[in-house]
Amino acid sequence: MKNKTLFLLLGILLVVSMMLAACGGSTAEETTAPEAPVEETGGEKAAAPAEKVKVSVFVGLGTGTDPDQIAAQEALAEKFNAEHTDIEMEFMIVPNDESGERLVAMVSGGNPPGLVGPGGVDVAATYFDLWLDIGPMIEKDNLDLSDFYGAAVEMYNYPEKTVGLPLGVFPSFIFYNKDKFDAAGLAYPTADYGDTSWDVAALRELAMKLTFDENGNDATSPDFDATKIAEWGFNDSWTDLRGFMTRFDPPGAGRPTTPDMKTALINSDEYKYGLDWLNKAIWVDHFIADSAGQQIIDAANDPFGSELVAMFYSHTWFMPEGLVDLPFEYDFAVAPFSQKGTRMARVHADTFYIPKNFANPEASWEVLKWLTSPENIVEVCLIYGCLPARQSVADEYTAQMEARYGEHDYSVIYGAIDYLDNPHHESWMPNVERVGDILQSDVYDLVFTEPVDDTDALLEDANTAVQALFDEYWAENE
Amino acid sequence: MIASLYFSFTKYNIIDPPTWIGLRNYQRMLFEDPLFWHSLQRTLYYAALALPLGLLFGLFLAILLNQKIPGVNLWRTAYFLPSVVAGVAVSLLFVRLFNPRVGLINPFLMSIGIENPPGWMNDPNWSIPTLVIMSLWGVGGGMIIYLAGLQGIPTALYEAAKIDGAGTWHRFRHVTIPMITPVIFYNLVMGLIGSFQYFTEVYVATSGNGGPLRSTLVYNLYLYQNAFKYFEMGYASSLAWFLLLLTLVATLLVFRSSPFWVFYEGEVRK
Repeated sequence: MKNKTLFLLLGILLVVSMMLAACGGSTAEETTAPEAPVEETGGEKAAAPAEKVKVSVFVGLGTGTDPDQIAAQEALAEKFNAEHTDIEMEFMIVPNDESGERLVAMVSGGNPPGLVGPGGVDVAATYFDLWLDIGPMIEKDNLDLSDFYGAAVEMYNYPEKTVGLPLGVFPSFIFYNKDKFDAAGLAYPTADYGDTSWDVAALRELAMKLTFDENGNDATSPDFDATKIAEWGFNDSWTDLRGFMTRFDPPGAGRPTTPDMKTALINSDEYKYGLDWLNKAIWVDHFIADSAGQQIIDAANDPFGSELVAMFYSHTWFMPEGLVDLPFEYDFAVAPFSQKGTRMARVHADTFYIPKNFANPEASWEVLKWLTSPENIVEVCLIYGCLPARQSVADEYTAQMEARYGEHDYSVIYGAIDYLDNPHHESWMPNVERVGDILQSDVYDLVFTEPVDDTDALLEDANTAVQALFDEYWAENE
Repeated sequence: MIASLYFSFTKYNIIDPPTWIGLRNYQRMLFEDPLFWHSLQRTLYYAALALPLGLLFGLFLAILLNQKIPGVNLWRTAYFLPSVVAGVAVSLLFVRLFNPRVGLINPFLMSIGIENPPGWMNDPNWSIPTLVIMSLWGVGGGMIIYLAGLQGIPTALYEAAKIDGAGTWHRFRHVTIPMITPVIFYNLVMGLIGSFQYFTEVYVATSGNGGPLRSTLVYNLYLYQNAFKYFEMGYASSLAWFLLLLTLVATLLVFRSSPFWVFYEGEVRK
């Protein structure tokens, strides 16, 4: 009897302590994460009509966490708050490596931030179900979108909803080391979008002549030692299969599906050509580093500045950190034409997204409009390194770039916008993260890890696996 | 835990309320998801290598540091210290050391005549063994427990064995080992659970993707991906509950086997 009472008491104590622990969860979070005061971020407090509506901007999924950016964002918030009596904006800075989990925790706890960003199209895709459809708000305000680059607006449009208003774009092009070209006695790659001789075959030829082993032999030399490569001719760092393949102009552009997203197109002729090109570039022609070489390039942190690659394909977001105090001369070249004689220069884009379960989406919408307005967009883009998505401020921004980076042919950057990938290579598609894993692990990483004998078969297998994921999704959601 | 058990029977993407789907997650896990079996296989492979090696290496070090050598406390501290270094830091260090091109390990191997050293984390066949080698870095924790066990063995037992003519090996085999079987048992159970829960190092070393070519996609990493990458909290919960069950069964089996090989001083066996 005594034992039974003891067990009962212990049992009650356990249940009560579990309940207390569960209720006290947010307190623990607050003590461990003072920089993200969760209690203060939600809309519940803001619901009181007399108070200012607080809109917390969750920053951390992309850029925006460097100390100078934090200071600039605080100044931006002050500016906004001085101009508004009904809304208070504040930036919530979360370290990048924990931002995803933190956002999920806030959302699942029913306490989402008012805005999330700046984030790329991949952020829109990854958390696709989270975002509010801002289409009705655009309609209600009769917002004029004509000043934005048309393709930039398109990036956020899905059949079922519009998830963002363009803030900035990051066109892609080639950064090249002029000193390496001079040393090799080679002509610079073109800055002319009309030069049809500059295609993927010409890129290959040039890149091989700029790839050197430790003995100084280039990759076209019979004495070239592929086990001791010291410098590579070309690299397209920090992308994935969908991004890499855009240069071969595949059907569906950056989204290898039919327009209704029901049929996978991983096995298109363009994908097959592109993967074979990449496979040979790494293992036969050696002008792109294999996975071990990529680790060296990654370890250098700055592939271009460390002089490990002669031609570096990247986006404008590379410029603020990548083009500082370089010990060599550099310039910009245009993306090459594809094997079909067409051109696609993928783009990255950033904006802020509104979580659909935020209590005051109208306030978030006002902040978003303010951030992307012609009056503020240049200032905002200077913080994040993006090119403003409004055509009317192009000259103003070019002047800023010239002041920072000196005299270059900036038409290369603006010209790339005409060739961007639409649909975008980071855009949502059914089971997007699982599909991404298949494309990355089973195809892209594999080609970098070991030579692939039959790249066509590899793509056919991947296509089958991706199609199965599409079928699974549509079976549940149609 | 109760909530996660409930979620395991639901479809739950965090944003929308969970929808009850019964045993669908478990059905998918066991019969439709090849990555579930792949990740389980990777975990068991890791455990099969890391667990015995960790136990043996820890015991070996403890025996070495149980000798009367000058500065023994310093040696013990030196070998224990790595086990308190954070897993993240250790992983970053080893990823760099094992880099086939710029790491320090391959040049050393080449200098001693190994012409084609492994690709380590770049090679799908070597990635798990590389993680196992990394795991030995933290063997100092087990070593300290072994050391305590070794020092608890009464010297009279060794003396009696010596009088009976037992040599070094026989004293080790018939005195040391039986006397520290409770410690081995403890380290085995903790190591087993730790192997099934293996996550931090592989997450850091592979940036959370389980590469190269999913060769290091261990169970917990796959669980994490389902929860925080695919936002399938319901499915991730079912994976978590299966892991709990698996760990429970494995631990239970070890406990059941203990009467056959674990000796407790003063115990009377029937």
